[in-house]
Amino acid sequence: MAGATRTRLVREDTSGADAVAALAVGVASVLFGLGLAAMFEVVALTGALAGVPTLPLLGGLLLVQGVAVVVFGVGSRFGAVETNPRPDAGIVAAVAFTLIWFVVGGLVASQVLSLGLAGWLLGAILTGAAGFAATVLPREDVGSTLPAGVVTALVGLVFLSGYIAPTSVWDLGWAQKASLTAEFMVPVVTVFCALLTGWAAAKAYGGFGARGRRIGAYLLVYLNAAAIVGVLFALVAFTVFKGVPGLFRGLTFGPGVGPESTVVLFGASVTFSWPVYWPFAMNGVGLLNDLNGVLPAIVGTFWLVVGAVLFAVPLGVGAAIFLTEYAERGRFTQVVEVATNGLWSTPSIVFGLFGFAFLIPRFGNGKSLLAGMLTLGFMLLPLVVITSREAMLSVPDEYRDASAALGVTKWQTIRSVVLPAALPGVVTGTILGVGRIAGETAPILLTMAGGVFVPGSQTADVIGGFQFTAAPPFVSNPELLQATSALPYQLYALITAGVGASGNVGNPDQFRWATALILLIVVLSFYAVGIVTRYYFRRKLDYE
Amino acid sequence: MSETKQNPRQNTTQPLETTSGESDEKLRSEWTEYEFDGRTKLAVEDLDVYYGDDHALKSVSMDIPEQSVTALIGPSGCGKSTFLRCLNRMNDRINSARVDGSVAFDGKEIYQDGVDLVELRKRVGMVFQSPNPFPKSIRANISYGPRKHGDIDTSLLAKVFGRSDEDAEDRLVERSLRQAALWDEVSDRLDDNALGLSGGQQQRLCIARALATDPEVLLMDEPASALDPIATAKIEELIHDLAEDYTVVIVTHNMQQAARISDQTAVFLTGGELAEYGDTDQVFEDPQSQRVDDYISGKFG
Repeated sequence: MAGATRTRLVREDTSGADAVAALAVGVASVLFGLGLAAMFEVVALTGALAGVPTLPLLGGLLLVQGVAVVVFGVGSRFGAVETNPRPDAGIVAAVAFTLIWFVVGGLVASQVLSLGLAGWLLGAILTGAAGFAATVLPREDVGSTLPAGVVTALVGLVFLSGYIAPTSVWDLGWAQKASLTAEFMVPVVTVFCALLTGWAAAKAYGGFGARGRRIGAYLLVYLNAAAIVGVLFALVAFTVFKGVPGLFRGLTFGPGVGPESTVVLFGASVTFSWPVYWPFAMNGVGLLNDLNGVLPAIVGTFWLVVGAVLFAVPLGVGAAIFLTEYAERGRFTQVVEVATNGLWSTPSIVFGLFGFAFLIPRFGNGKSLLAGMLTLGFMLLPLVVITSREAMLSVPDEYRDASAALGVTKWQTIRSVVLPAALPGVVTGTILGVGRIAGETAPILLTMAGGVFVPGSQTADVIGGFQFTAAPPFVSNPELLQATSALPYQLYALITAGVGASGNVGNPDQFRWATALILLIVVLSFYAVGIVTRYYFRRKLDYE
Repeated sequence: MSETKQNPRQNTTQPLETTSGESDEKLRSEWTEYEFDGRTKLAVEDLDVYYGDDHALKSVSMDIPEQSVTALIGPSGCGKSTFLRCLNRMNDRINSARVDGSVAFDGKEIYQDGVDLVELRKRVGMVFQSPNPFPKSIRANISYGPRKHGDIDTSLLAKVFGRSDEDAEDRLVERSLRQAALWDEVSDRLDDNALGLSGGQQQRLCIARALATDPEVLLMDEPASALDPIATAKIEELIHDLAEDYTVVIVTHNMQQAARISDQTAVFLTGGELAEYGDTDQVFEDPQSQRVDDYISGKFG
């Protein structure tokens, strides 16, 4: 490696220069966070943070950050800071900076200088080439800091100068009337510049070279991970904030405030009142209700998932046992595998149509809970087959050999060795599948109906609905054949109902968000049950 | 190889050519004829095994005496494990395998229709190369075989009707673990998962598991190859003790091990032929086949 200095074996105490670089990394992380916050409108661009207007604050931070990075790089070049840079910053950085400077040059030439097409193209190409040269020609310490720092400082200057107002809008001039708002562009550019200078500062902190590149990569990976978690958290938090007022409206505790329930045990019936009254989860929609709720949809979703799992898991696991343990591997198993994978990626509306055209005419020609259960069961089946098969294939053959050598038959081996070892995998697959089917709208739309506002009388009482009859099949359950609702479909209906969602439910917007939140809660509780089950089976297999 | 005698041809100038010349040596049947006192437990007659087109075992005949240790040695791929797996018909589990010839267990042919594989494998137990306990408790590992055969029943129904065999299970677990010299180490944690044991303990657990079905023959496929010297010494001692009651057939790569623990040794050579079979001392001290001599003295294989 020509030009590279020797790496120190032991890094001495942090020097002042290291502290500066670390500070720059810190500022970059703060900018990254601020940018994301502004993007989700947690921080208003028009407002102020700690007494300073937001936009100039961002601009100032970016300017300081850009200058600091450049100073550090140039200082390293002239020996003021001890580093171990490579001869150049590398081809990936060169391509990235070329693109960035191409865009910067193009923007300046067209927007600020108002040059024509040929003019801005020429400007963009020239600045792009300059960015390329600035990255490739100097040593790594300058090559990776100078282009990044100058861009950031420029952006900072633009924000500071007031050239962009927090309320600016750029008309893109397209036929679709698309436009970009400062509210969106400022955070995006801030986040981008924060990543760019953060990366450069992290490299500087590591003294460039292999160590610097590693630390630079770490920073990007960690910021990326933090952003993903942050976005997920923001999504859930958003739903919770919007949904909580509607969800807990009228929630009261106290003896006897809740609805009355009657439990029949051995002929003796006991009637009691719930000590909690939660209108949204305990009521349907009715004229006489003080507050309306979505009880029928909650119960419908619960029974849908239970029914689909009861239908699909035994069938799927059975099919997986046949495919892995009995069928000879060959053309047939390959075809089955391709078919199950294909079924799993089949759009849900197709399953819904199948249920509508095939199941409904066979269940009394009306939309029903049973038809919905079976349709969702068909949807769940392929994933259960695929994951159970994977889980069984990953059970070591040594177990099967050991069992056979003890004179144990194949079926007994499957039952007592293969299935227990595969159970965590089966449960994982089922959890994944439940996550999908519990949120399906299309099949429910076609097989189960429901509506915008479902009266409490449509709550499916599946357990209480079983009746013994004198004629075969001796048991019937009219509740299963009744049309009822489920949360995803009710949510869809509420949203599309528009103005029609009248004062019957008080505040329709609150009602919608509360429905969304409760759907989230129901799906997450299915997840929780699945994860606990998997943990239980895994603990039985692992040694502690 | 310290245990072997000096090879008289070791100083020839072209040992490679000598070896390759010797590999054409015509095997003679008297080299595999072994006279022993006592009863024959397993009689193998003209056994051929094919994996697809691959002729893995060529016309092997040998009688294995009762209550003794028989070692099978030979270079990798010579068919010794294949031979071992023929003795309890484990090769049936490999789709491409085809077996010709005859194996008689106590005079009864096991390669014929109507043989009860469950019963055969109960009597001819097997221990594998790498320890493979089930991911269950130590107790459940031991009682697995007898439970599945219906010899032990501790199910809920059995408890309800008062015919639960919990005492019998405890006795069986203790007996098997004592036989496998594992009882003292695990008696206080029988309900722990077997995967928490060390490698050597796991292998002895597998031996105990095989003994729990009360077999007459114990087949072992390199049982100590994955273990450290101390665990190996324990397993070897155990095999020696087991030979008092059981007929042990053991495959090993380690010639010193074969010399230490076996009463008679069979040497398989590349190509799936049985080259020599006889008293262990005689096979190691004075092999009759030149190729076996070369193999034992470390010239090839």
